[in-house]
Amino acid sequence: MGLIDQAVDAFETEINNIRLNVKDAVEALDHEYSGAVYDSILTTKLGKVVGWAQKNALWPATFGLACCAIEMMAMANSRWDAARFGAEVFRASPRQADLMIVSGRVSQKMAPVLKTIYDQMPEPKWVISMGACASCGGIFNNYSIVQGVDRVVPVDVYVPGCPPGPEALLYGIIKLQEKIMMEAGTDSAKKRVA
Amino acid sequence: MTAEEVVETVKSALGEAVQKGEVNLGDAVIFVAPDSLHKVAQYIKEDAGLKMEYLSDIRGVDYLDQDREPRFEAVYELHSFEHNHSIRIRVGLEQENPTVPTVTDLWNGALFPERELFDMLGFNVTGHPNLKRLIMPEEWEGHPLRKDYPLTTEDVAFSHNRDYKSELVKSKPPTR
Amino acid sequence: MSVTEQGLLEREKDTMTLNMGPSHPSTHGVFQVVLEMDGEIVRSAEPHIGYLHTGIEKTSENKRYVHVIPMTDRLDYLSPPQNNLAFCLTTEKLLQCQVPPRAQYLRVIMCELGRLGSHLVWLATHALDIGAMTVFLYCWREREMILDLNEEISGVRMMTSYIRIGGVMKDATPGWLAKVRKFIDYLPEKIDEYERLLTRNPIWLDRTEGVGVMTKEEAINWSLSGPALRASGVDFDFRKKRPYSGYENFEFDVPVGKNGDVYDRYLMRVEEMRQSRRIIAQALNSLPDGPYKVEDNKISLPERSTLHTSMEALIHHFKLVSEGVSVPKGETYVPTEGPRGEVGFYIVSDGSNVPYRVKLRAPSFMAIPGMCKMMDGSFIADVVAVIGSIDIVMGEVDR
Repeated sequence: MGLIDQAVDAFETEINNIRLNVKDAVEALDHEYSGAVYDSILTTKLGKVVGWAQKNALWPATFGLACCAIEMMAMANSRWDAARFGAEVFRASPRQADLMIVSGRVSQKMAPVLKTIYDQMPEPKWVISMGACASCGGIFNNYSIVQGVDRVVPVDVYVPGCPPGPEALLYGIIKLQEKIMMEAGTDSAKKRVA
Repeated sequence: MTAEEVVETVKSALGEAVQKGEVNLGDAVIFVAPDSLHKVAQYIKEDAGLKMEYLSDIRGVDYLDQDREPRFEAVYELHSFEHNHSIRIRVGLEQENPTVPTVTDLWNGALFPERELFDMLGFNVTGHPNLKRLIMPEEWEGHPLRKDYPLTTEDVAFSHNRDYKSELVKSKPPTR
Repeated sequence: MSVTEQGLLEREKDTMTLNMGPSHPSTHGVFQVVLEMDGEIVRSAEPHIGYLHTGIEKTSENKRYVHVIPMTDRLDYLSPPQNNLAFCLTTEKLLQCQVPPRAQYLRVIMCELGRLGSHLVWLATHALDIGAMTVFLYCWREREMILDLNEEISGVRMMTSYIRIGGVMKDATPGWLAKVRKFIDYLPEKIDEYERLLTRNPIWLDRTEGVGVMTKEEAINWSLSGPALRASGVDFDFRKKRPYSGYENFEFDVPVGKNGDVYDRYLMRVEEMRQSRRIIAQALNSLPDGPYKVEDNKISLPERSTLHTSMEALIHHFKLVSEGVSVPKGETYVPTEGPRGEVGFYIVSDGSNVPYRVKLRAPSFMAIPGMCKMMDGSFIADVVAVIGSIDIVMGEVDR
């Protein structure tokens, strides 16, 4: 009798423990995924699908500043067709774009404008810093050029060159696409969606 | 007219207003004081023999490193399309409150270069309709093209020296 | 002033303030125009520049002459050889050195290829702004060929820095010259193609004829230059009237317009493209043999083969690479004819290997007040056409 009672007690404590653990685990899951409507089994797969859709339709905002803008236009033209990689249209309005290619040198007067345009873009958004001047100030180390656009906006891919050829910029876009796929479904991708 | 003839015509017509006239590497150059600039410029524009109706450029130079008086200089370049000759007018300005009269009433093309003189070198251009900063932001302090204005206040953030490089990396501002 | 007071003040004046730029697809760079609009009509246009200020002039005061040349590339970034040429001509005038004829002809070929490249970008973006997107794609196809030629001769697509003090960077090979010839044989039918699309197109005529008119006296007074000045009736081209770098040996016409409107400026530049092709053809046919840079080793580097045998060559090479060329004291200015107008550098030298003051005379900078005057009284759609027709490049405006 005593043994069976002991066994039943032990069994009941186990079940209670599991119940409590499950409750904790579910609470922890809720806490982690707060705000997102994800089913915990399909999370990663759905995230990957969303990532695949995002990377194949990156629409850049026209943010051509200086010489690099000419090479960006060359990339958009028929020889190095960026449209086949998804960058079909260069949107003039930042509200309709999800990629900002900072092409050219950013001067002190232009930096607040750059930040305003970046803020106007809706999440999720990415930034490619094209050229030496955008990445690190380039050949201009003086009072008027911001030494690297990453002092103003967070940058995902840096493309070096002065100016980088269109093939280099395309490689940068492909690398960004790889980055989006790698991050898809994980926490860093969720941080991009507000 | 050749450069020598241009300088001779201007000097003989304007007399004392022209401090010095010379032909420098084939260019006609005259030196003028700021007060007589407008008179000289008007004569050069309207005289039938000179007819320099085209203002090519207005530049400012800071001669601080060469230790000469006057410290500043405003240089005007004028072309004539009819006669195909040019002249350069050099106006010496002193260090304390460098002032030069405007020539926007003669050439409308002087609007932007004179604003740039004010912005980058601090020349006070009297009579200009809209003397504001042109190239630097509105609230910028200082006049960048002066020789006592520093080129940059930051060190180059790259070094082959391994120890110095680790210091630079530590002090680099965070990017995200 | 509180927001309400500001709003009441806004309502009292009868014009609407519309801000165009600095980040705008049609402003050809980071250029801001604040328009006071009365319905669709522009009452006044106030330009704001400085968004691309790079401090090149002040940086040049700390760099040796040969290091300033790549910086000049980035000023008018659509035709870099022209800026290189203007800087080198001025430095050579101060140095009083004679450039050999082969170098002069090679410089002319590079400059005219640069002019073609610049006019192709102008046509592409101007037509795109007015609505003709096909021309954008067609012009870039030809420009890619010019950039390939650039890459073969100098290693860089755009910022070639091919023209150096005393001559050019390196000699042109027969293979490259053959490719240039093939390109200019291919070009005329393409320019005809662009003209077939635009010149007699009723939409193009409606949008560009009578828009942005500048009379001859106004154009001279507002310091316009280049094709915009010639479209208003002034027959002046620095390549003809003050020839430099061997231009006196070539036969070419300079188109002059009548009305001074956007359509005339378009015609000027298209005709200039044809004349540039003619100049390159003549230069290729009569390219002289000889050295491609001045023989004086105090100015240009000696041949690498002589470094093994001659002590003087070695010393000169060392001095030129470490210290750079020393330019005698003086100041001068040489005007040249760029695709946008009169380009020149005013260089003040104090006798050392570093220039004392470098000032670029930028044609777009001088043209902007005139351009904003042209916009007075026009419709908002014409603002875009006018900006495109003056062909401003913000790299040289803001320096």
